[in-house]
Amino acid sequence: MEGLFFRLAWRNVWRNPRRSIITISAVASSVVFAVFIQSLSRGTRDGMIDNLIRHSTGYMQIQDYRFQENPSMDNVFFYDDRIVDRIRQATPSLDLVLPRIDTFMLAAGEQVSRGAMVSGIDADKEHRFSNIRDYTIKGRFFTPGEAGAVIGRGLAERLGLGLGESLVLIGKGRFGMSASGIFPIVGVVDHPLPKINQQVVYLPLETAQALLSAKGYVSSLQLVPGRKTNTESIAGAIRKELENEDLRVYTWQDFMPEFLNYMKIDMAGAYLMSFILYIVVGFGFFGTVLTMTMNRLKEFAILLSIGMSRSRLAVVVLLETFCISLIGVICGIVAAFGVICYFYRRPLELKGNAAEALIERGWSPELFVSFAPDLFYVQGIIIFFIAMAVFLYPLIKISTLDNLKAAKS
Amino acid sequence: MPVVQTEKLSKIYNLDSMPVHALQDVTLSIEKGEFASIVGPSGSGKTTLLNMLGGLDMPSSGSVWVNGRELSGMGDRQRIQFRLWNIGFVFQHYNLIPVFTAWENVSFIMLLQGRDKRAIEHRTNQLLEEVGLGDRKHARPAQLSGGQQQRVAVARALASEPRFILADEPTANLDTKAAMNLLDIMARLNNDKSVTFIFSTHDQRVTQRARRVICMVDGKIVGDERHER
Repeated sequence: MEGLFFRLAWRNVWRNPRRSIITISAVASSVVFAVFIQSLSRGTRDGMIDNLIRHSTGYMQIQDYRFQENPSMDNVFFYDDRIVDRIRQATPSLDLVLPRIDTFMLAAGEQVSRGAMVSGIDADKEHRFSNIRDYTIKGRFFTPGEAGAVIGRGLAERLGLGLGESLVLIGKGRFGMSASGIFPIVGVVDHPLPKINQQVVYLPLETAQALLSAKGYVSSLQLVPGRKTNTESIAGAIRKELENEDLRVYTWQDFMPEFLNYMKIDMAGAYLMSFILYIVVGFGFFGTVLTMTMNRLKEFAILLSIGMSRSRLAVVVLLETFCISLIGVICGIVAAFGVICYFYRRPLELKGNAAEALIERGWSPELFVSFAPDLFYVQGIIIFFIAMAVFLYPLIKISTLDNLKAAKS
Repeated sequence: MPVVQTEKLSKIYNLDSMPVHALQDVTLSIEKGEFASIVGPSGSGKTTLLNMLGGLDMPSSGSVWVNGRELSGMGDRQRIQFRLWNIGFVFQHYNLIPVFTAWENVSFIMLLQGRDKRAIEHRTNQLLEEVGLGDRKHARPAQLSGGQQQRVAVARALASEPRFILADEPTANLDTKAAMNLLDIMARLNNDKSVTFIFSTHDQRVTQRARRVICMVDGKIVGDERHER
């Protein structure tokens, strides 16, 4: 009996192929749009977060608690193997520990001077985390202890300096010591974060420590988890280990509250867009279903007349709905996969004012898409249920159908 | 016992707030094996009476009894179930399920009844043979002529082994040859198997073949003649 109902429903679906194809296309395009909106929102957010984490804050940092308030060289802390051992013992799931000493100094060329963010790094470790060497567009990255600087392309252009030319750095070292030095530019990087590109100067960690009279000291330790989902648990374990000390663990969320707020607004916008889409989709389906139902009232009446119960008729119509919705959703997911695949390989790049607004905030103007599997099935399920909900209309109509009136229609 | 009988059956419709008496005190009794035709001008109440006999419409007053059971006392679900087992319908516009083949259209009713699969196959083949469509059983309605579709409709109406078959203007859309062919089949079924047929019709060809002609005017029975054929 069930087989008969399914056969009847399936054949009814293809009885008017054009109508069914239009309905299926509507369901499929809704899935594509819904997936795209959510994927773009999440992908852009994740891409920006990943970019910022990888090239700026890292997942977690250990700092002296005073450094957050007052990022001066007086608030750096001593770094040696003992602290690394303690951290690693507290949490074995840590991948990398990157020592850094960061400060702001005046960078000068022959004619021009600018404020610069001087970052003393262990280039090998940094590269393992952020592939920083891959962004070198001129020259090379320094070797440990070398008295050479790698400079961001934007800053190099501002200072009018090129490869092999001398960069003067002037600032304040530890305990108010004057810090100044001349460093040959051994490399220029095109940093993916525009704001950093315009102000970064990389020095080897030891060279920077010597410049800032802070031998053995770092301003932060960036911690790279084996799995990024473990960030919070690792931070918790280290917090416990460092409980009674001046050192604090900060996660990436602590460093970018403004960005997170912006992302919340962006996500709310995406949800609003999706919600509007769901309403439009719902009414679109309803129009189709209304026409389809009205066209079939007589047929329903005849089936009731010859002895088919309302519930059985409802099952057939429900099966038709199920088939159409399911085919539409599956087609939509397949099409969405193609669309997302395309934009995954070729991220959208904002131009003009929108791009400038993002660059001003230090974020990339590229809009990434997310390939998270849940986007596909969650949006598919939502659209499926919207379609099924709209298709309740014929079921209601069947339950209240007046045979005679319908037969005359 | 009559297969169907009515007692003081009345139906009043409200048309633009004006009461229209579609049926007035119709009392009628049809016995098993009758080949009855309800005739009368348009608006005389033929179709309304047929709808009442089939439990498709409810009377304003009076009652309809089918095989000793009163239809107006039944709920919607009960009436649908009752129709499935007791009444066969043949419509003017055939009204077959367009996505089913002739064979599926006939067997569908029996599947709704929940009959045994083998019995359904046997009876469906038999019925299609009886209406002369044994070789067209895999054709869909759109692939059949009007006459052939109406013969499938007759086979479908017979499939449930109903107490009687109601046929509303069954020949109205058929040419003479197809109409005569259909009437031959119905008459044969009536003669050989005592299938009870009740027609509403304008068609003289049907009236001439009927053994009982019930004439209606303005919602009342004004004549009821029996003929030997």
